[in-house]
Amino acid sequence: MRARAVSLATLASLSVLAVGWQVGAQANASMQALSAPQAAPATIPAPSAGPATPTPAATAPTVSGPATTAGSAATAPTAAASTAAAPAPAAPAPAAPAPAARPTGTFTGSSVRTPYGPVQVSVTIANGTITEVTALQLTNDGGRSVAISAQAAPILRSEVLSAQSAKVSNVSGATYTTRGYLTSVQAALDTAGF
Amino acid sequence: MSLDTRARQHNARPRIHPNYPRRMRLADTLQILAVVSVALVVAVFLADGGAARISTPADAITALGIVTGLVGTDLLLVMMLLAARLPAIDRAFGHDSAMALHQSLGKPALYLILAHAVLLTIGYALVQPAGFFDEVWIMFTSLPDMPLAFLGLGLLIAVVVTSLVIVRHKFRYEVWHLVHLLSYVAVLVAIPHQLSVGTLFREGSLQRYYWLALYAGVAGSIILFRFIVPIVRSLRARLTVVGVDQEARGVVSIRLSGRQLRSLKAKSGQFFIWRFWTPGLWWQAHPFSLSAAPTHNSLRITVRGLGDASSTLPRLPVGTRVSFEGPYGLFTDFARTSPRIVLIAAGIGVAPIRSLLETATFAPGQATVLLRSSTVDDTYLVEELAALCRARGAELRIIAGKRAPGTSSWLPGDAVRARITLATLVPKLREADVYICGPRKWTDEVVRDARSAGLPTRQIHFERFDW
Repeated sequence: MRARAVSLATLASLSVLAVGWQVGAQANASMQALSAPQAAPATIPAPSAGPATPTPAATAPTVSGPATTAGSAATAPTAAASTAAAPAPAAPAPAAPAPAARPTGTFTGSSVRTPYGPVQVSVTIANGTITEVTALQLTNDGGRSVAISAQAAPILRSEVLSAQSAKVSNVSGATYTTRGYLTSVQAALDTAGF
Repeated sequence: MSLDTRARQHNARPRIHPNYPRRMRLADTLQILAVVSVALVVAVFLADGGAARISTPADAITALGIVTGLVGTDLLLVMMLLAARLPAIDRAFGHDSAMALHQSLGKPALYLILAHAVLLTIGYALVQPAGFFDEVWIMFTSLPDMPLAFLGLGLLIAVVVTSLVIVRHKFRYEVWHLVHLLSYVAVLVAIPHQLSVGTLFREGSLQRYYWLALYAGVAGSIILFRFIVPIVRSLRARLTVVGVDQEARGVVSIRLSGRQLRSLKAKSGQFFIWRFWTPGLWWQAHPFSLSAAPTHNSLRITVRGLGDASSTLPRLPVGTRVSFEGPYGLFTDFARTSPRIVLIAAGIGVAPIRSLLETATFAPGQATVLLRSSTVDDTYLVEELAALCRARGAELRIIAGKRAPGTSSWLPGDAVRARITLATLVPKLREADVYICGPRKWTDEVVRDARSAGLPTRQIHFERFDW
């Protein structure tokens, strides 16, 4: 290679790498920014008009639906999950709808974006006890992340069940799945007023 | 005034043929593209947040494993392009240089792919946690398309190992070549796991299209330039053997006749890869150089039968159909940079020298032909060379004599003792392009002599046929 070709190739390669790095850093920052507000439902206490004690049968979550099936009134918790669209200011009702002492029902958490695809769970609560956590959607970008989330989901489920909260430790090697899973669980618990 | 300027410019610096800067720009562009393609796959990984996502040592090992896989695969694709006989690559570097680069990339590419497999296994095993071989088993059984990927890795190892020079000489060329074709299979079966296991090339992502376009481009080039173009050209040219002339013991000139040969744009000094359709020869293809300037309806090659079936070439029947790939090579007047020319041949290397002498651009007195042999008798095509030299005003010198044992000079022992070198043999050598064709070691020695005489690389031309 001539000196000119070497220097041009070096220059071009370094620029390409720098651009790649920059785009990657930005994408990662915005990814974190995106998942942060979705965890926010914790601070917005279920602004929907949904009843605090829905009938479990009516709320059987649609597996495919990342919280978009807000059409039916029966799936109120699901609608509540998609807080972004929910008319927070339009709900003048002050404060939380005074949760019944012991929430019961199945509550769908928000869909949390991760670099490996969205994660969403539903939480079943009976008389104030978390009895089941069902994964509606897990990281699925590529076989590797399917394998990771398939491995992590049962661990997270049992930890949430035993801790009775979303405050459980990270499953190592499945950081993104863990973060998404627990954020969604927390959103569901908030909806339930748990 | 304008006359003055021209005169001064002419004196300032010997004119370099405009082909040369054009060719070098093409070479630079191709080299830069190859390097940038490596940077680009790494950049795609970074842009996808590959580096920013690293938080544990296992992440780092996994990321490194992904990058080695990306770079290794990119190198494999570059290698395949180098072997695809792209006209641009042949014009810029010549077939032999392209193949030399292809060979030198083989081992690095294999090491990168091996590192990819090992690093990812370690990275995944740390996370599971599992032992190394347990993790291999887990990957093999639970991840999609991994059995195929392991198969590809095995094939790649087999291909590179059989290509290492030592092993290559133990096999017949055709066997080696057959094994070598498995590299295409190796590259193909590795594709599914890149798309399904990896998250980088997930469905719908921009980089997935880029990656697939790379593969499509390489595959298209191979199909077009290694298969379609040669077949179409062979069918159109309808070459047949019209005569076989005995030049010396075991050396024959094969005269071929065909049609529309101008469209091949073949040049003196180039070679084709020939296939003679006789019962004993059709399964072999041989590279042979043109030994006469091509015309619109005829080509001629001069061949020495060596060992294998090519030793039956002297008995080639008239009327034999001939197919070919080519023309290839930069051993032509196209690569010229200076007004004078020196043609140096040993053995059967005289063939392209003979055709170059016929059509190269030079004024009477500006060309020298050096014919090197052990004895005066074992030279080929000497009468033709002498007649051409007389007609065109070139000087012909036959340098006969055994080399002194233990020395590394291309000249006979007595010439070395008399301190004769290329510079003393050829007047105004610095203003000449030197073309060298002969056995490999001998060629290296002539090249060294030319370099030590102060000739820049652009003025030294040689072609290897041991790829």
